[in-house]
Amino acid sequence: MKRIFTIKVKTKIFLNLCLLSILTTFVYAQESEYILNIKTEEAKEKSPLTFIIDLISTENISSIELAYKFSNQTDFKEIELQILGTTATVTIPADEVKPPILEYYFILNLKDGSVKTYPPNVESNNSALQLAISSIERQKEDIMILSPSENEIVTPADLLISISFIKAGENIDINKTKILLNQVDITQHSLNANDLIVISGQNIKNLKYGPAKIEIQLYDKDANLYGTLTRNIQIITPQKAEEITKKWNFGGSIKAESRNESFNKTSTWYNNLSAEARATSGNFLFSGQLYVTSEEKRYLQPYNRYTFTIRNGDLFTLQVGDSYPQFSDLIMNGKRVRGINGSLNLGIINLSATYGEITRKVEGSLLETFLKNQAPLAYDVIPINESKYNYPYGRVKLGTYSRKIFAVRPSFGSGENFQLGFSYLHSKDDPNSVEFAARPQENAVIGTDLMLALDQQNVVFKSQAAFSIFNKNISPGTLSDSQIDSIFGQGKAFDIDPENIKRIKKLLGKIITVNQYIGPLNPQKLASFAGEATLNINYFNNTVNATYIYRGNDYTSFGQNFIRTDVKGFNISDRIRMFNNQFFFTIGYEKLEDNLQKTKIATTTYETFNTTASLFLRANFPSITIGYTKYKNNNGINFSDSIYNNYIVNDVTNRLSLLLAYDIRLGVRHNTSLSLTTQKREDNSLLNMDASYNSISFSVNSYWANNLTSIFQLLYNSTEIANSQYEYFTITAGTKYRLFENRLLLSATLSPSFGDFDRQALEIVADYNLIRNLNIAFQTRILRFPGKSTNSFIGLVTRYVL
Amino acid sequence: MRTNLFLLILVSYFSLTLVLKSEDIKSIGAEATANSPVAVVKKVFKDVDYRKSSQQSDWQKASVGLILNDGNEVKTGSKSLALILFTDGTGLLRVRENSILHIYGEKKQQRLDKNTFIQKGLISFDVNKLSENEEFKFTTPTVVASIRGTSGFLEYTEDSTFTMSLDSGSAHLSFLGPQGGEGILQEGNTVVITNDGNFQFRAQSPEDINKANDSKKTTIKKVIIKTQRGNIEIEYYSSEE
Repeated sequence: MKRIFTIKVKTKIFLNLCLLSILTTFVYAQESEYILNIKTEEAKEKSPLTFIIDLISTENISSIELAYKFSNQTDFKEIELQILGTTATVTIPADEVKPPILEYYFILNLKDGSVKTYPPNVESNNSALQLAISSIERQKEDIMILSPSENEIVTPADLLISISFIKAGENIDINKTKILLNQVDITQHSLNANDLIVISGQNIKNLKYGPAKIEIQLYDKDANLYGTLTRNIQIITPQKAEEITKKWNFGGSIKAESRNESFNKTSTWYNNLSAEARATSGNFLFSGQLYVTSEEKRYLQPYNRYTFTIRNGDLFTLQVGDSYPQFSDLIMNGKRVRGINGSLNLGIINLSATYGEITRKVEGSLLETFLKNQAPLAYDVIPINESKYNYPYGRVKLGTYSRKIFAVRPSFGSGENFQLGFSYLHSKDDPNSVEFAARPQENAVIGTDLMLALDQQNVVFKSQAAFSIFNKNISPGTLSDSQIDSIFGQGKAFDIDPENIKRIKKLLGKIITVNQYIGPLNPQKLASFAGEATLNINYFNNTVNATYIYRGNDYTSFGQNFIRTDVKGFNISDRIRMFNNQFFFTIGYEKLEDNLQKTKIATTTYETFNTTASLFLRANFPSITIGYTKYKNNNGINFSDSIYNNYIVNDVTNRLSLLLAYDIRLGVRHNTSLSLTTQKREDNSLLNMDASYNSISFSVNSYWANNLTSIFQLLYNSTEIANSQYEYFTITAGTKYRLFENRLLLSATLSPSFGDFDRQALEIVADYNLIRNLNIAFQTRILRFPGKSTNSFIGLVTRYVL
Repeated sequence: MRTNLFLLILVSYFSLTLVLKSEDIKSIGAEATANSPVAVVKKVFKDVDYRKSSQQSDWQKASVGLILNDGNEVKTGSKSLALILFTDGTGLLRVRENSILHIYGEKKQQRLDKNTFIQKGLISFDVNKLSENEEFKFTTPTVVASIRGTSGFLEYTEDSTFTMSLDSGSAHLSFLGPQGGEGILQEGNTVVITNDGNFQFRAQSPEDINKANDSKKTTIKKVIIKTQRGNIEIEYYSSEE
């Protein structure tokens, strides 16, 4: 049916508007008896596209239809608008919206039966309106808005508009790009640098607070509109920004695991649950962590963990439950404490303190009883409650006393350029905590530490020193003066001047139990002293590090179990960067010796020399690391020394390693690496435990697709100790595959070993994202030792993240 | 015998890689576009400086919108922060206080090969899932970490201790120390590598998680404690919005 077109048109305006409608997606209008203006949102591929029409009057309008077609369509499709008052709206469904151009016009069915179009005479003039549809892929791949992100909330000072053309096609003319903020052209404030355009909010005057829309119009080299990118942001005042940070945010996660291990026909189930919850407001953090496991047994030290934390940035921290306080390295670092731990950092003055239990009481058991004169001298025969057990002595399975710790460290200075700290630690077993145990102990440590940095930390000096007192058995309690006189002195149990002991008691009696088991009794020999100093200098691409350490053989801190004692010496190293951080060279030397208090037959000197060169070109060339290390240990005892030659320490070990890594693009990217290590130890002691070790490893990690990776590895190992050889070869092949839009991860690894070590290992993991934030994972590992046994580990893990 | 075997494997490996890569090696630099911007500074707080290369002795103040090119360095002072975006949209770096970061990048066709060298300090990162042909590298004097689709933090201290902790994704690590070696760090885990090459892999501890969360904070706030002798101002980082 032929329609009748009667709307008057001002052709010039109409053509301009048609052009504008192609360029952008803003409001436009055309002179019409019925339509005031038409609004659309930004037209994006696969996004619903809504038209809102403001009508002058609906008095004569019966209905309105939108006729539209996309570039690849031949016929217009019609859809009726919904008229509410003087507004008519219609939405083209998302799955229909396709780039690059939408052609459309409106059909107005009037109450008198006539039909008009907008724009008029569309069919005869072939002058439908056009709208550019942004391609998701094209915009995503080609041109990126690095900043701001969608719906970002920024203050004017923080506003950065940055567009990257790194991946843009050659047809794009970067210099023609227009940037509009709330429809105002701000392109003149932009800085163009090859593939990047930036505008800083600080350069835009009179930025208005509130919602803002950034439009970026992209043009090709023929000045045709290529596409439009938009960002919606909120510009807020600094005060408002502060209010936003005070909002409460909550988060957390929960993870449960059930695992069965079948090893040598013994089947064991392990069930674990870990949960974490946190709430933040401004700089306040409230968090709780919980770990509960079936491995928790009352006769073992705790496996369960729970911690509740309150923090306010760096200002203060308070932890209740299990924590790992960090004081001076020599005194306390990384030891678990169940109790309370906190710190207050004001910069000029700071305070850290902790109090709690580091060892849980575990009750022993009575195995056998003795009369006083029949009790043998043995470590596990102890006095017992005679009224309860009818015998004064018993052989017991020794339990463990509850051990409490208290540590405090006031410090001065922020630690940026200066900090001076003083530490005090006291720890004691509770003799009444269990019935069957022996030799409760007590420990006190005092220490100081200093940090000094100059020239923006290019020169850093750190030092720490600590002195410990250790009582190996506090069960007798503190001795009275008369007891001291009866035990200490010439010809008595301890040939030490009793007056010295009384002085120690007077000095330390309020800190620690003073009796015959306390040490050191000769503090001037520094047996319980530990100290170290480190100087780090960083200039001219050199990092020089020099350290001196001294740790007496009796130095003990219950807060630090892993410190090596009876050692002194130094190490010095230099790490050099060259060729624009593409070549690294390290050289170091360390010399340590023991027997500080002459408690051993001879003094052993431990020398280590190492050097490493690494080449990491930022080009298509293998990265290469070559390392050489020489260990030399000698205690100076000769073969000719017939009394002590069994104690000879005299060995030299040379170790050479080479690591090559290379990215190969053979269809896809493959990370390859080759590692060679050879080590030879020459033992010149009577044992003659000469040893050699050789290892070759080659691996390829391949990235076949974003959801498919694989690993292949060959490993050869050969060890020979005192002419006894052990040699094996391992092949590992594995793959990881993600499917169902990355919701399911499947991985499998097969790893058979041959030779002296004969084993076949298979591991399969399936991790499925069941619903949003909830994952369930199944893991199984089978280890088969041919001719011996087959062991399996099967586990099921669920985790939920809030 | 074994020495010969080692040499044979070494020569074979080099030959293989050179043969496979001969085309790429020929093209080194051929596709590179000079002075392509590598990154842009999104945010600065307090003392953030930059210089164009190590050869330049003077540092200049960095500001929002500063464009960083191949070889540029960014340095932060005490309680300072810089946010850096890579121009290929692959990642965000938060350069925490007292850090020095070197930025390298080379545009090849429509790809940006990126690398960073962390001279010292703590860098928090969010790197998008890259295509199978791309990766992001952090280099330190002791470890090289290649990451893809990863978030977490990396710290390199003045005593040459390297720490990396991942909230998501994985990292492939090459150890440059005397012990050498390689390893893969998975999400939810932390690795600490000391200057003598010893390393420890562990599950993220509450301290690691707190440090990771702290390292993401980029909003700076201030509290004033009024005392009889004047006010004490404390500036601190708050959560990112």
